[in-house]
Amino acid sequence: MGVFSINVNGASRSVEVEGDTPLLWVLRDNLGLTGAKFGCGIALCGACTVFMDGKPLRACSLPISALGKSEVTTIEGVSGPEALAVQDAWVARDVPQCGYCQSGQVMSAIALLKEIRKPTDHDIDLAMNGNLCRCATYVRIRAAIHDAARALER
Amino acid sequence: MSHVLERAMSRRLVLTGTAAGVASLLVPITVLSTYAQSPKEESTYDITDWIAIASTGDVTLGLSQPEVGQGSYTVLPQILADELDADWQRVTVRFVTGKDAYKIAFKNEAPAQKEGASMSTTAFYELLRIAGAAAREALTRAAAEKWGITVAQCRTEKGFVINARGGRLSYGELAPAAARLPLSDRPRLKQPGQLALIGKPMPRLDSRAKSTGSALFGIDVTVPGMLNAAIRMAPSFTGAVVEIRNEAEILKRPGVRAVVRIAAVAVANEEAGSQHPALTRPPRDNAVCVVADHFWQAKRAVDALDIVFDSGTHGGLSSAEIDALLQAALDNDTGVPALEIGTPQQILRDKAASIIERRFVLPHIAHAPLEPVNATASYRDGAVEVWGSIQSVDACREAVATAVGCAVDAVSVNVTFLGGSFGRKIVPDYVVQAVQASKAVGRPVKLIRTREEDTQHDVFRPNAGARLRAVLDDAGYPLAVHARVAGQSLFGATRKSWLDRTPEGTWDESMVDGIYNQSYRVPNFLVETVDTPLPIPVYFMRSVGSTAAVFFWESFISELASQAGIDQYVYRRNLLAADPLALRVLDAVAQASNWTTPAAPDLFRGIAYNCYIGRGSRFKTYVAEVAELARVDNKLRVKRVFCAVDPGLAVNPNTLAAQIEGGIGFAMTTALHSRITFSNGGADQSNFFDYPLLGIDEMPEVVPIVLPSDRPPQGFGEVVLAPLAPAIAQAVLQATGRRLDVMPFPDAAFRG
Repeated sequence: MGVFSINVNGASRSVEVEGDTPLLWVLRDNLGLTGAKFGCGIALCGACTVFMDGKPLRACSLPISALGKSEVTTIEGVSGPEALAVQDAWVARDVPQCGYCQSGQVMSAIALLKEIRKPTDHDIDLAMNGNLCRCATYVRIRAAIHDAARALER
Repeated sequence: MSHVLERAMSRRLVLTGTAAGVASLLVPITVLSTYAQSPKEESTYDITDWIAIASTGDVTLGLSQPEVGQGSYTVLPQILADELDADWQRVTVRFVTGKDAYKIAFKNEAPAQKEGASMSTTAFYELLRIAGAAAREALTRAAAEKWGITVAQCRTEKGFVINARGGRLSYGELAPAAARLPLSDRPRLKQPGQLALIGKPMPRLDSRAKSTGSALFGIDVTVPGMLNAAIRMAPSFTGAVVEIRNEAEILKRPGVRAVVRIAAVAVANEEAGSQHPALTRPPRDNAVCVVADHFWQAKRAVDALDIVFDSGTHGGLSSAEIDALLQAALDNDTGVPALEIGTPQQILRDKAASIIERRFVLPHIAHAPLEPVNATASYRDGAVEVWGSIQSVDACREAVATAVGCAVDAVSVNVTFLGGSFGRKIVPDYVVQAVQASKAVGRPVKLIRTREEDTQHDVFRPNAGARLRAVLDDAGYPLAVHARVAGQSLFGATRKSWLDRTPEGTWDESMVDGIYNQSYRVPNFLVETVDTPLPIPVYFMRSVGSTAAVFFWESFISELASQAGIDQYVYRRNLLAADPLALRVLDAVAQASNWTTPAAPDLFRGIAYNCYIGRGSRFKTYVAEVAELARVDNKLRVKRVFCAVDPGLAVNPNTLAAQIEGGIGFAMTTALHSRITFSNGGADQSNFFDYPLLGIDEMPEVVPIVLPSDRPPQGFGEVVLAPLAPAIAQAVLQATGRRLDVMPFPDAAFRG
């Protein structure tokens, strides 16, 4: 066991866990932030996507001991124009079905729009391919990302 | 404790003032006693089993069908609210359970509260309209009495009763009096022109919560004093725990509270005695779980367990053995006839030289909901409370009661949003395991299966194979057909009472759904099934047998059309000439896809049709699809799918279109990726690297075509899946001449 001081959603938090505990389980079990989901445990499905220093990261595969001073942002703490545009587009398009993967989808979409202001379908394929949706809401995910990109232009 | 949970969760999770201006949402968590009996604001009044109205005018609508993604959380309340004339902006939805009104039956079975078989809207449409209308009438009567006028002088609008002089009383003001009035069994329902919500593409009520991470799924549940558990099950389905060699060592690990042996759960326990005997006998422990403070501690400890498993009576089970059984069954002398018309055998014998024959084989596949199965349970003094992603409330209560030896009434179930299910979470084996763990440690326990455990110990969709033989008439159309389907019978393994009985034996309609009850003109027709029982846990999966049977049947029709040299659309059209509703969807999809115009040089198309007949013949939904494959860089890719449906009344065209889009994607995964193989008595695949799901880069464009209909709402959640694979296969045949006879389709078929 070790005590780790981590920065999550702009606040410093102290947790006592084994150093190999993945960030995902620290967020979920120790900090009660359940927006990031457990899907596969090996960074294949994207349900656990959070930001580390603004970049998307699969929280299931990063040991807490490797986090260091990095700033973590979860869906509970995400903000800014891209976040607003993506979440509004998600709601307007009624993207979610079961919804379990959608926290991760939303986080990846925000990251994409921060990187590429006007993504093409190919950009979307590349950026979103690691976020699996068993309900296959992909048609609306794609449409919502284009909607959000348009909203950000205004 | 449950009340504490509910309050704590309510504070955290009630969402108000959403951007879309939709109703405030209470995440559907409740205790077994319905909201009608649970503690609540004193000024809330129950008008019906489904409707409670607060004196403030806020309306709480009961939802008895779990939300697994299909949209019931929006669609069913929409029906109630329309007939009630509620103000949709002031509606809150809450999951309810515990009343007979919430129970339905799919086929010959006792009614139960459960979601499945695409039945929710079909089964509840009329009931909810009646409930809403009866409540509206009671509110109107209460107002008329207050005003001293007749009900005929009153009308309702968005949460108010209004009289001819413009007087208005809100539903909130009327609720106390209305709650005391008797309800009409036969209230006057709205005329079609009066409907305000039914038939409208209303936004989903759960989109905001699901787009912001605040929706509560089973895996997110926390209850006071809760511990966390991980589990490892015997790799072989008939396996047992013999010994844990390092239990003392494991118990010393940080956070670990207990190592618990878990008794084998008779999965798919809806009907005792149906399972393969090797799965249920002898009673044995077949899993070990570690209970710890945190999940990661439990998971790491489970990984470190040194368990000796006995693989049991069928530890040698392998895919080679399963496939051999299947092939032998296809070549057996006899099967059990599901249908026999005319003299098919005779004609096939007489014209043996001109028989066209195709064989197909499909594997077992796993449900793979993105939320792995998990449950939270609290066993205390013979009473049990569980929380989680549970698709069948009553089956869960019964399974838990049986497992711990308490009364069914002592088991209360709290249903959250389900992170996918597709039939998987009807089977409460994972809930029973959580209860066993809680009982062992005397505290509430949340047990989460890892992806690996979820995949390897799914209740799989059974395998299936088919052998189809036909001779054509002079015009090239089927004169006689013999269709035989073999495989592990789903009904045989889960609910034997659903098997059809004949003098030759029993047959399972799910094995030939879309064949024995198909729509094409086939004057001489024999349909047979052969059950090959296996010691593999299986269960219903979205679209059930039709994914296999319609693939066999439509692929065979494609073969016949191809051999006859007749256009695939024209061929089907001529075979459906007597079925106007079938022709309507077929024509619609052909028109939308410009079928009669030759395709561009690197575009290849396939067309397929199915009428999905609901369990117990409760509904008929007509579906036709055209898959377009484009050749890019010497690789074929499913680029666009047209899907025409006649679903009866589309209560919510928005959620219906979502089911078309998602259903096509789900069927793409099955067609291109899904296969479970077996060795040493268990499943080989474990995670998304060897059991992949469709990614966004593979998702085709989807063009939904929803035909208007005067029929009431027909089932929809499963119906679009089946025709996709045969449409793709037909397009591949067009493009390459290659015949696809297995799923998942080999990658090589899409090259060149």
